[in-house]
Amino acid sequence: MADLTAISTWTLADVQHFGRRAGFGLNPAEAATLQAQVPSVAIDAWVDGTGAAYDATAFTAALATADVVAEPLVSANTTVAGSVAVPAVAAPHPFLVQGADAWRNNLNTAQALLAWRMQHNPHAFEERMALFWHNLFATGWHKVNNAALMLKQFQLLRSQGLARFDDLLVAISKDPAMLIWLDSVLNNASGANVPNENYAREVMELYSLGADNGYNQADITQLAKALSGWSFTYGEADYIRNPANPNQKFPADARFKVYDGTAIAPDTRLWWSGTATVSSNMHATGTISLFGQNLDVTTTANGWAKGENAVRSIISARGSSCAQFLARRLLTHFVTTGFSAQDLADVAAMIQAANFDLRAALKALFKSQYFFSAANRHALIEGPVSWIVRAARMLCPSLASAAAQTPRGYPAWRLVTNSATTFDEAGMKLLDPSGPNGWKEHTAWLNSNTMRYRAKLAAALTLSETRTYNSVAYPLFPAAVTVDWFPTAPTSPQAVYDRLVALLQPAPIPAAVSSAWLAALWPATFTWDTAAQTKARELAFLILCSPSGQLY
Amino acid sequence: MTTRREFMQTLGATGAALAGLSACGGGGASSSGGLPTPTPTPTAPILVIVNIDGGYDWLNVTPPNAGANLGVYQTKRATLGITDPALLTDLGSGMALNKDLLGMEALHAQGRVAWIPGIGMPNPNLSHFTTIDLWGQGAAVPAGTGWLGRFADTAFSPTGDVLRGVTITADLPVMLKGSGRTFVAITSAGGYVFPAYLLSTSTVPDAALLETGWANALSASSTDAGYLAGAQAGRLFYDAQNNPAFGTGGSLTARTPTVPYPGDATYPVLKLNGTALSSSLSSQLKLVAQMISAGLPAQVYFSRLGGWDTHSNQAVDHPNLQRALGGTIKAFHDDLASITTSAGNAQDRVLILAYSEFGRRVQENNGGTDHGTAGLSFCVGKSVKGGLYGAYPDLTNLDANGNMKYTNDFRGLYATVLERWLGQSAAATDTLLGASYPRLGFL
Repeated sequence: MADLTAISTWTLADVQHFGRRAGFGLNPAEAATLQAQVPSVAIDAWVDGTGAAYDATAFTAALATADVVAEPLVSANTTVAGSVAVPAVAAPHPFLVQGADAWRNNLNTAQALLAWRMQHNPHAFEERMALFWHNLFATGWHKVNNAALMLKQFQLLRSQGLARFDDLLVAISKDPAMLIWLDSVLNNASGANVPNENYAREVMELYSLGADNGYNQADITQLAKALSGWSFTYGEADYIRNPANPNQKFPADARFKVYDGTAIAPDTRLWWSGTATVSSNMHATGTISLFGQNLDVTTTANGWAKGENAVRSIISARGSSCAQFLARRLLTHFVTTGFSAQDLADVAAMIQAANFDLRAALKALFKSQYFFSAANRHALIEGPVSWIVRAARMLCPSLASAAAQTPRGYPAWRLVTNSATTFDEAGMKLLDPSGPNGWKEHTAWLNSNTMRYRAKLAAALTLSETRTYNSVAYPLFPAAVTVDWFPTAPTSPQAVYDRLVALLQPAPIPAAVSSAWLAALWPATFTWDTAAQTKARELAFLILCSPSGQLY
Repeated sequence: MTTRREFMQTLGATGAALAGLSACGGGGASSSGGLPTPTPTPTAPILVIVNIDGGYDWLNVTPPNAGANLGVYQTKRATLGITDPALLTDLGSGMALNKDLLGMEALHAQGRVAWIPGIGMPNPNLSHFTTIDLWGQGAAVPAGTGWLGRFADTAFSPTGDVLRGVTITADLPVMLKGSGRTFVAITSAGGYVFPAYLLSTSTVPDAALLETGWANALSASSTDAGYLAGAQAGRLFYDAQNNPAFGTGGSLTARTPTVPYPGDATYPVLKLNGTALSSSLSSQLKLVAQMISAGLPAQVYFSRLGGWDTHSNQAVDHPNLQRALGGTIKAFHDDLASITTSAGNAQDRVLILAYSEFGRRVQENNGGTDHGTAGLSFCVGKSVKGGLYGAYPDLTNLDANGNMKYTNDFRGLYATVLERWLGQSAAATDTLLGASYPRLGFL
């Protein structure tokens, strides 16, 4: 059984385990600070983001100059009337993808923004949890075709990721990117129309219950009717035109609306040429039968949308299946894949007892003896995005230090995501999974191709690679070995190794391997000179690429 | 605006041009009785899997064109149905071929296509992911490994043969996972080496040091699945990049395709809106051709074309996808004729197997189709005895959810390929699949 009683004390290794799983790692100094606190108090603050350590003021301010890559000029499209060139934007500047920049619709920029946030957000848990939900509610840019709306969804995952699960499920069901992704906007079940089942199927199979776990095909059809007409509107002000080609326009924002024939003024749907004042009528009326219960999907209460009661009934009528589904996903991402049926049942029971309050459930899980048990240490293969972000957190300058540098000491994430190192080839195309099932975790992260690209990412980070973009060479991951890695000069090869292991925190590396590495790198006398510092970079590369370096 | 019919009339001309590109045709026989004799199974056969990902609406690829099935189809596909004879070629037995599946009409006329309608499984599941998993495992009693992974377990050397199974995808599909062996994933022809820095003569031999970590892990007594997965992935990468087929700089010898592929500027057919077709599958099969040409010892390749989950916008997306799918398979088949290695001519050696996890609901929704059951697989090659294998599902006798009842067990297709293409004995084939499934007569 999973021992879910809370720990009362913790070791430095415990704290580092917690930091890797519930965030993107803690360096030895950060871990020591946290270890000085009572575990339950520290974990509550970590999850809630309360206290000075998680203050976002400097982080938020730094976003204004977070992108270190200069944005080139966009030439006017001379065949389109009203086109004007968009001037180059000197670095540093914000990531140009949201608000007035929505027209740029650049996936790599959006990915870079997320990577930067994961690296520098003092409230790392917020980003880690959003990443977890992104894999679960996997939505893809290639169909949504709007980076700003994708980021809007990611912000929803941050802000609601610790809400009650039924509220989160309703919120994601109303999210514009999701409404596009699984065809809700085209689900018309008014009158004799045949509903589009896409979202109804996946919301149960992938987002709340698991395949064949408490529903059947009839439930899918009925839920599709309940959610028919779920769509959104844009305001005119939301349209952001590409100045260099005004024919291209992208909504920077959108608002949920059930298309039931009622007025929508002053907003208009994107493809309605800006004059419609009434939504089309796509919503089914009357009563549906879901999980054997009759639900009125026409009248509303509690401020709910028409049909929202059907989404909520997934949890209220199938609580046990839903809790089991969530337990499986949470365990697989945060604890281990080696859980027993009893472990799963124990965690599911805890979630149900918490009334699907995710904040309470996550806190209980993270404080548990089970989470900290020795068998679960380094028991998971880390996904490639958090893997490289964690390494960057450990090896690159801190936010305060990087923000004070000229040029800024941030990684050129914008080039990491669009060059030969891409997240795509490493096996996790952030914001653009190929399907709504997201990415399989643990051993499924690794194959010969993803390992090849992990090696490229590791090389870019540890070996100080640069990438040239528009004739400017940018360091991909700026870091100084002497300042950032070894503030205290090591006096032996073993000291170099120990410090790097303390930073990168791989699973135990067999002594035969580490000693072979050190013997090859430093066959003779050790001096902490430039050559040795280069070798330290190579050693960091070897650790990151080793089998142990994939586990966390 | 060009109508579909006008477009198809235009296509008639370009289709002929495409047929003319076939460098090694079988004589262009097109009437019954005039088909060329299939070539014997080659000594070094290659299997190229084309995964039609998302559950394709094959009812619109090879729609019924006669009898009661046609009546049902016309009713349930009132908007999306393909019934205009100008858009179709008759395949016989009440089944037609949508001309949007470019090139397949010509290959069919040459007797090089085996059509297998109604392929599926008992107790069908309408979930993509459950069904993909079952298609991948291909076993009487699924136990986690894939049918081609189990083939690799028995056929490939435990320590060598690194490049004998290759997937051109960034992921490793369950179909290719064995209990001991797995496939190499290679997505590009160039730079398949460690970062140049590591091979620099000015530093210690870092690539070898890296390999120390991986090799040691594999030889150690660890039983940790994660640790071993890291070691195996690294070791496969290391060994593959050491293969002589990857030359200087870790790159395959460059190769220019001898025919245009969909997505190429010179390819004569475009999407409905006049833009280039998807080059996704083209890129993958061009790479396969390049690997065969470079002498890679691969016996099985896996490729994938996604986007077929047409719950909506099917009238636009589906023709575009079919053009890319059919056009790419035809281009690849033609292109292979120009490749001859010590193992023989590539067109003689390659069998293409196309499959999808399921077909789609007979009744359309508003603009699309939802998940269904039985599918259509097809195999293309010079050794194939062209024609229809199995029965077209009876559209007047659907299941309780309005889906087709399968007529062909998918594992029979696997059995046929394992025994008659990949050289497994009948007994070994049955062992690999966990039961004996009837073989299909196309090989």
